Amino acid sequence: MTTTAATTTTAAEAAVTDPAVLRDDLDAYARGLRAWLASEPALDRWRGRHYPNTEERIADHGLLMGVLFRAGWNRYGWPESAGGLGGDERHRAVLYDGLAAAGLPIPAPHLMLETLGPPVVHFAPELAAAYLPAYLRGEEWWGQGFSEPEAGSDLASLRCRARREGDTYILSGSKLWTSHGATSSRLVCLVRTGTPESRHRGLSMIMLDADTPGVTIRPIALASGENELAEVFFDDAVVPASNLVGDEGKGWAVAMYLLQWERAMYAWLSAADALRRLRDLRGQVATRLAAGARLPDGSAARLGSVYEQIIALRARSAGTVRRLAAGDTVGPEASVDKVLLATVEISLFDLARDLLGTEFVLGATDEVRAWRNEWWFSRSATILGGSAEVQRTIIADHVLGLPKEAK
Amino acid sequence: MTTPGLDDATAELLAGSLREVLAEGGDLTAALAELGWADVLADDPARATTLLFTEHGRALAHSRVLDDVLLAELAGGLPAATGPRALLYPLHSDHPADPRGPLTGLLLGGLDGIAEVVVPTALDPADAGDTAGATLRILPADLVAAAAQPVRGFDTAAGWLTVSAAPAGPAGPATPAGDAWTRAVAAGRRALAAEIIGGCEAALAIAVAHTSARVQYGRSIATFQAVRHRLAEAHVAVESLRSELTVAWGSAGQADGGAWAARLVKLRAGLAQAEVMRHAVQVCGAMGLSLESELHRFVARTAALDLLLGDHRTLAEQLGTELLAGAELEPVVAI
Repeated sequence: MTTTAATTTTAAEAAVTDPAVLRDDLDAYARGLRAWLASEPALDRWRGRHYPNTEERIADHGLLMGVLFRAGWNRYGWPESAGGLGGDERHRAVLYDGLAAAGLPIPAPHLMLETLGPPVVHFAPELAAAYLPAYLRGEEWWGQGFSEPEAGSDLASLRCRARREGDTYILSGSKLWTSHGATSSRLVCLVRTGTPESRHRGLSMIMLDADTPGVTIRPIALASGENELAEVFFDDAVVPASNLVGDEGKGWAVAMYLLQWERAMYAWLSAADALRRLRDLRGQVATRLAAGARLPDGSAARLGSVYEQIIALRARSAGTVRRLAAGDTVGPEASVDKVLLATVEISLFDLARDLLGTEFVLGATDEVRAWRNEWWFSRSATILGGSAEVQRTIIADHVLGLPKEAK
Repeated sequence: MTTPGLDDATAELLAGSLREVLAEGGDLTAALAELGWADVLADDPARATTLLFTEHGRALAHSRVLDDVLLAELAGGLPAATGPRALLYPLHSDHPADPRGPLTGLLLGGLDGIAEVVVPTALDPADAGDTAGATLRILPADLVAAAAQPVRGFDTAAGWLTVSAAPAGPAGPATPAGDAWTRAVAAGRRALAAEIIGGCEAALAIAVAHTSARVQYGRSIATFQAVRHRLAEAHVAVESLRSELTVAWGSAGQADGGAWAARLVKLRAGLAQAEVMRHAVQVCGAMGLSLESELHRFVARTAALDLLLGDHRTLAEQLGTELLAGAELEPVVAI
């Protein structure tokens, strides 16, 4: 049973459709969005939907983006030059929250859009103008190529090379753990343009088409069997130099810029979705209880505690989103958001696992399979985008100012 | 923030004055009056309350300023006071006492100079333990004082008293509290969350200073990852509490005083103190367990503050039980 937060709206609330008003008046945008989400029949096919695999899920979520785009709602928060309708991060945050509250999934491609969109808009407006509109329409999405087989937490040691030749770069090497890599149309990669020893000073960010000759993508299945990630091989792939995101040699600064959104917007988006899933779980547990099932000892306290953790994450993350929207630089303190996010993901899906009990281990329904897949995926919350250990070290170094760890 | 109120510079000045006043340890009520606290509070209740209670927690102060917070919410429904009032807090969470008595509860200090004690009791004896219907009774202070004992528990320095078996009979006319008790509890929980922030910040500062100065294996122990990560987690606990307290103040103006968010922040405060103190005690080693270190004072004080108006375990269970019974999973926070 999925409980949707039914919001009663009046005709007057739904009346505002002028993009300039929705752009400048966040409350009008929020009201208009809620009214539309509650009344648009085309959205029903995405409610409570399960998919046979990740590829079908992301493709169907792309279609949902198309619906959102045609109605305009996912264009706010992005500049007009890039297919948007103006506004800022708060519009995007309200959209994610609204979708989750209406019992809808936040389209999976929005995850990487939040990470890769802002730096491309900021550092490569021509690339944003060329490709972001199709992203917002859900016709394409991008993968992020940062980690490598020998460069994980120690990102500055990456070795994937981009050699300048005339108006092009020749890429050779590989990238690992690329989210949505197997289905992405484009990749945004951090590559080495400096000497092998140049560490973070010799890096550049570049965008390339996934079907560039010399690029091979191998999907990587998580333990759930779902192809959530990919490995990407570059065998002298030729990329136009105009595809640089930021200047050559400035890739580290672009990556640091990007991290602000990766940590902050992703945290808000995840919190919105976590609340939707907790509502789903509560509904499923209520059905079981009504059928005479017993919950393990301490279940109520854990449920209360997970709910409160989600609210704490929302409280923290809302502040960070507002700071981003105001143009503030969000520094190492964003690691607090990431630690809270990871804690929520782990506790929510552990709770689901324990409350579903036998069913989690033995059940074969789509519903239970989704919980299992998400349980596996939730384990990555303390690993991807900077591991739990990296986040704690950032806080220790740059927020608490502790003496540096011994090398 | 565009709302009028305390700006950063004024808040910093006030914090400094509060620190001085609290360090002197004199009559806090008189010192606050001298600072013109009533005006500060009226101007920006959220920031002023958070400032006062954070410093109160940091200074390990004991006073009855929390009574003022709750009594301000209750006063409207009560007959005019015959003199200074104190509040009898429930021993368990926010559950009003059984009016059939004998009355039990907690006092934040002795009753010298106090004329009467406000006692929340259940509206109907059958509802004892239920927060829904509370009624307020007023007892002469000397009657309550006769049944009061200084707390000799975990925190011996808080100056609290337990009241056991105060006679309920002579309690004055009962005033139905309506929403007032709910509002008072919400306001008290926000103040306590701020006080716990102060205690946690102080304990974390002790742990950071100790681990940075303490050398083992030829280097300060704060260079060891296991120590650094514990301190980072303690920081996350405090910061999440701070954000949630800001959010809780956002609904303080609602008819029920923002009870839902206030309960959440009290829960978070309880969790935060447990986490901060666990890490701080560990990284300070045996020194953190000694009487001469200040750390134990914060461990004991924040544990006592956790207990007041609902400890985190009780609140989590209460919340989860309501959610299982169908309570709305409120999003609480909006952009």
